[in-house]
Amino acid sequence: MNLKIKFLPYEKLKEEGIEEVMKEVERNTIVMIDGKLSATDEAELIEKTMKKISDKFSGIELSSLELPASAADHPLARIKDSFIELVIGKKRGLTVIGPSRLIKRIKKNPKELFLEMSG
Amino acid sequence: MVLHHLRRWHASLKKLLAALFKTRGDLKIGLYGPVNSGKTTLANAICMDFTGEKLGKVSQVPHETREIQSKEHVEMKVNGKQLTFNLVDTPGIATKIDFEDFLKYGMTKKAAKQRAKEATKGVIESIKWLDRMDLVLVVMDSAEDPVDQVNVTILGNLEARNIPVIIVANKLDVKNSNAHRIRQAFPQYPTIGISAKTGYNMEELYKTVLKTVK
Repeated sequence: MNLKIKFLPYEKLKEEGIEEVMKEVERNTIVMIDGKLSATDEAELIEKTMKKISDKFSGIELSSLELPASAADHPLARIKDSFIELVIGKKRGLTVIGPSRLIKRIKKNPKELFLEMSG
Repeated sequence: MVLHHLRRWHASLKKLLAALFKTRGDLKIGLYGPVNSGKTTLANAICMDFTGEKLGKVSQVPHETREIQSKEHVEMKVNGKQLTFNLVDTPGIATKIDFEDFLKYGMTKKAAKQRAKEATKGVIESIKWLDRMDLVLVVMDSAEDPVDQVNVTILGNLEARNIPVIIVANKLDVKNSNAHRIRQAFPQYPTIGISAKTGYNMEELYKTVLKTVK
């Protein structure tokens, strides 16, 4: 099986909605988003996943990593992050969503995500 | 973001209105958590202690609880303090349900597919019921890695809805269980280590429930 990975800007996710991400994942694509999904988005994603489960699609592996601005970042960068979060809800971080038959598990530590693939 | 704030505001308003128009007897305490963390075993332990009856069936096969089940009018009495509530046991939340996993437990293909179908509906119901809860006990398996996406999603959604949380570090009777690992992962929540199966430390959990609600 060919491994397909799609890098999706958070802004595009907000435009297209979670349904579009689900379509990609159902086509065996791993979707990486440059931001952390909100808890309510994650719940919506799980609900949509459950509605799509079939003999061929068994669900998703999902992991979100929040990477808040640190004191080492330039003050302007921190202001920019806060502004973006206020306007579009984007939290600095990373989200990985992929089909569970392709990703065995995603291990997470505070600053890293580690994908273990099936087979 | 605006939508997120609206949702939070809406949830807070709903809770305020509910608090104004309901009695203490309508208080709902929910058991949430990943699959096979011991929610129904805990529900049974609580119900046995205060009503003398069990609530649901437990099994090693994942997704045994596929529908919301509740016990009304549970009167918890500990050290002279009392609380009456409805206990709500929810199906385990998962991001994947593969019918083939059930075949390992000797099920027929037809039964496994049916179980998977019911389990998906159960997960959706669990998420929908979040808004109705007044307090949630998030039940985690102390022998498993607590930084699991399901745990993170449940806690995040409860926080977004301003619902009080107690983390129950269950299965302390199991080898390699570690409640401290859960406390380290989620230091912002009260965490009580128990074994719902043996009854270990249940009184401490009851005291924490009474303290959180009153």
